Amino acid sequence: MPAELRQEQSPSSQVSLATMPEAPEVLEETVTVEEDPGTPTSHVSIVMSEDGTTRRTETKVTKMVKTVTTRTVRQVPMGPDGLPLLDGGPPPLGHFADGPLDRHFLLRGGGPAATLSRTFLSGGSGFPDSPEPRDIPSYGSLSRGLGLRPPRGGPLGPGPGDGCFTLPGRREAFTEGPEPVPLAPPLPAGRSQPERFQAEPYGLEDDTRSLAADDGGGPELEPDFGTATRRRPDGGRGLRSRPYEDVAEDGGGGELMEERPPFPATAAPLAQPERGSLGSLDRAARRSPSVDSARKEPRWRDPELPEVLAMLRHPVDPVKANAAAYLQHLCFENEGVKRRVRQLRGLPLLVALLDHPRAEVRRRACGALRNLSFGRDPDNKAAIRDCGGVPALVRLLRAARDSEVRELVTGTLWNLSSYEPLKMVIIDHGLQTLTHEVIVPHSGWEREPNEDSKPRDAEWTTVFKNTSGCLRNVSSDGAEARRRLRECEGLVDALLHALQSAVGRKDTDNKSVENCVCIMRNLSYHVHKEVPGADRYQEAEPGPLGGTVGSQHRRRDDAGCFGGKKTKGRKDGEMDRNFDTLDLPKRTEAAKGFELLYQPEVVRLYLSLLTESRNFNTLEAAAGALQNLSAGNWMWATYIRATVRKERGLPVLVELLQSETDKVVRAVAIALRNLSLDRRNKDLIGSYAMAELVRNVRNAQAPARPGARLEEDTVVAVLNTIHEIVSDSPDNARSLLQARGVPALAALGASSQSVREAKAASHVLQTVWSYKELRGALQRDGWTKARFQSAAAHAKGPKGALSPGGFDDSTLPLVDKSLDGEKPGSRDVIPMEALGPDGYSTMDRREWRARGSAPAGEASEKEPLKPDPSRKAAPPGPSRPAVRLVDAVGDAKPQPVDSWV
Amino acid sequence: MSYIPGQPVTAVVQRVEIHKLRQGENLILGFSIGGGIDQDPSQNPFSEDKTDKGIYVTRVSEGGPAEIAGLQIGDKIMQVNGWDMTMVTHDQARKRLTKRSEEVVRLLVTRQSLQKAVHQSMLS
Repeated sequence: MPAELRQEQSPSSQVSLATMPEAPEVLEETVTVEEDPGTPTSHVSIVMSEDGTTRRTETKVTKMVKTVTTRTVRQVPMGPDGLPLLDGGPPPLGHFADGPLDRHFLLRGGGPAATLSRTFLSGGSGFPDSPEPRDIPSYGSLSRGLGLRPPRGGPLGPGPGDGCFTLPGRREAFTEGPEPVPLAPPLPAGRSQPERFQAEPYGLEDDTRSLAADDGGGPELEPDFGTATRRRPDGGRGLRSRPYEDVAEDGGGGELMEERPPFPATAAPLAQPERGSLGSLDRAARRSPSVDSARKEPRWRDPELPEVLAMLRHPVDPVKANAAAYLQHLCFENEGVKRRVRQLRGLPLLVALLDHPRAEVRRRACGALRNLSFGRDPDNKAAIRDCGGVPALVRLLRAARDSEVRELVTGTLWNLSSYEPLKMVIIDHGLQTLTHEVIVPHSGWEREPNEDSKPRDAEWTTVFKNTSGCLRNVSSDGAEARRRLRECEGLVDALLHALQSAVGRKDTDNKSVENCVCIMRNLSYHVHKEVPGADRYQEAEPGPLGGTVGSQHRRRDDAGCFGGKKTKGRKDGEMDRNFDTLDLPKRTEAAKGFELLYQPEVVRLYLSLLTESRNFNTLEAAAGALQNLSAGNWMWATYIRATVRKERGLPVLVELLQSETDKVVRAVAIALRNLSLDRRNKDLIGSYAMAELVRNVRNAQAPARPGARLEEDTVVAVLNTIHEIVSDSPDNARSLLQARGVPALAALGASSQSVREAKAASHVLQTVWSYKELRGALQRDGWTKARFQSAAAHAKGPKGALSPGGFDDSTLPLVDKSLDGEKPGSRDVIPMEALGPDGYSTMDRREWRARGSAPAGEASEKEPLKPDPSRKAAPPGPSRPAVRLVDAVGDAKPQPVDSWV
Repeated sequence: MSYIPGQPVTAVVQRVEIHKLRQGENLILGFSIGGGIDQDPSQNPFSEDKTDKGIYVTRVSEGGPAEIAGLQIGDKIMQVNGWDMTMVTHDQARKRLTKRSEEVVRLLVTRQSLQKAVHQSMLS
């Protein structure tokens, strides 16, 4: 039960909260099933992912910002310190007076200033906004900046050069620009000092750099940014060099100037840092790496949040982009800012920008949204939804070819998907797009498997990781969500292909794999109830498989009919058929879509993951998937249970009972319980898993090491599994005795703080006592009926230990409750018959028993028919001691595949 | 029959041209293959070198197209219609052989130690 939840909820803690409420449902359903709908655990994973993503991006931004800032500062301080006062005073006033407040913001914000000026100048034609005129005045101030220059150049040497270089772009722009006024002043000033800079060489280099930088940045924006401008100018270097530099300085001054003016005038002037960040976020880092600690001018301040938001509406695109980028930076790990952005209605602005014609603007806006959507506070997520954010993001994903944008979009969707109310919205708007734009192409799956090209491997890109994370969260949203995902064409096929590719490449520890397995697990939940046509496969009455209507309906042999998409394991399945009575259903056409979820072929995939992955979440999910698939009383669950045995999955699972990770133990224990519905599985599990199960019980009662105490849910799961395998099986009960399980259970029942644990333990004890043939042995050991009864009474045992149907404890029921209720005892029968040929089952049992203590050789015995080939031995877990079963299995190899053609 | 991946393989080869037989909706060749780079080569009863992950003919149906064309149990398939089969997965080989669009399959096979292979297969 818990498993699913976790996965599903991978989302952040929020999710967990949401999940919690669901719990009751889960219990009911889960009880039997193995569901995995989610427990809180997932949060963690989700959070992780989100964090990861977010952080990266944010970090990036931060860096850039800082750099920029530094640079700006420098320029400012150098000249400005002294000059500023002079410069700043007058210009601002002018501006102020001229423009309305909003504009001020814009200008200021605009790191704005700089950007604006550039834009106007260079692209003049492009932006005919009112602001221009204002800028001009500021330029005037720039010129003054020039005057400052000398000091900078001298001391800094090359360092300044960098700054200057950056600036050049603007200058050129200036030059080109229509504004005569600004140019004039700067030129003269510049001329006087060009030599220091050694304009020519540096200038060239700079240009190159800047170009490169620009290239990196979105090409579309270039024109707006200084860079683009620079390129044009190249034509006349000679001219350039001197004027250029001068200009550069001017530019530097200019920027400052422009901004400054506003300060004085307005209550809140732009901050240098902001400017830096805004203006040069992209390239700043590259441009001025050398700049050392910035000196901060106390007088300058960062733009206020409202100012930044206002800039999102600025008519000049680069300003919008920069404002969004700065916003992203501000929001990084700052819940307060995120909240304020929402309160100031910034989210609709950003969402609107997702459809902006300029790519850079879209990208920045999406980056900001990603950070804003991250966190436990669901309000921002809700706000993004309320303004149509999900469809907008999906549109952007569909249109974007740039992988960075796709990463941002999918990352944002991942963040959003952790909020319960948004899950269905994402499914409604984005499922198709996410599947067809990302999952399918990146998974390597092809609809036409017989293509000449060899099967492609999955690409574990960030986009894929984000998208799979999003779908993972979304897949936990109940039956309807599962249905939609299952029926989404190509999704299941692609996920399976990706996982097979991961197993093939032994790359099973990454996050993408984890996400895929979690989706698979969630989609496998209740598959026997929810899949279209599932009723055809219901085993109305547990009985021989042959009697199943559905199976006959489908039965028809064919050698190579399993589709190419399936697991390699499929062949083995066919082989097995030859000697095993269990008839796997034959199909006339390849399984596809959701049918793949429960084909016996998937068993091998999950077992491979269980064997190879070291990612606990993946382990848990894979065990959870088996748990889900082996639950329920439909034909496919029967096949799955048998297939797990035939694929030698039981030892793999038993080994995992030693996992140090609680949730893995829990998922595995529940899976074993479901698997033991198969009679032969029950015998095998009773023989070989009992020691491990008892060890876990003992651990629960007296942890081997501090902190090793298992969680209550896990202990209960283990106890219920023991109960299941002991029920109706005196042999297994004897195994329990031999494993010295009775004292452990009694101790746990007596000492546990948990009512559920005590109760579950007492159920087991009662069941054991019910075997009259064992009483002699028990009494010899000093046990009395009273002890068992008291344990039961102590724990307030529900009803008679013997009546399985009577348990009212929801945790007990293995399979569907309904099943339990209707046919308490019939369960046992099913497996037996299903197993078919006597020889088969008996042999196994006998052998197993006989070898009881002799570990080796079990594997082969399980499948006596074939001289057993080998499957690669399950690599023993990292730190786990090898288990008997495992060892035995280790020798076992997969049977050779043989296909008719 | 051992070879180094990427190096040319020298072997005595025979060309076998099989005309597929239509059976219902399927085109069949009438033989089965084993091996492939994703399989355990040590399980292959036909290979001399137990590290050889090539594709081998494991069974030939009586009177089938493959038998008619002269294919024998234990043949190692080197190429299918010009496609290399010495470094492919089992499934890739199967797909290559079962293309619906191709009615005729030209194989390049080697037949080393055929006798021994048959023996082994009988013993096992």
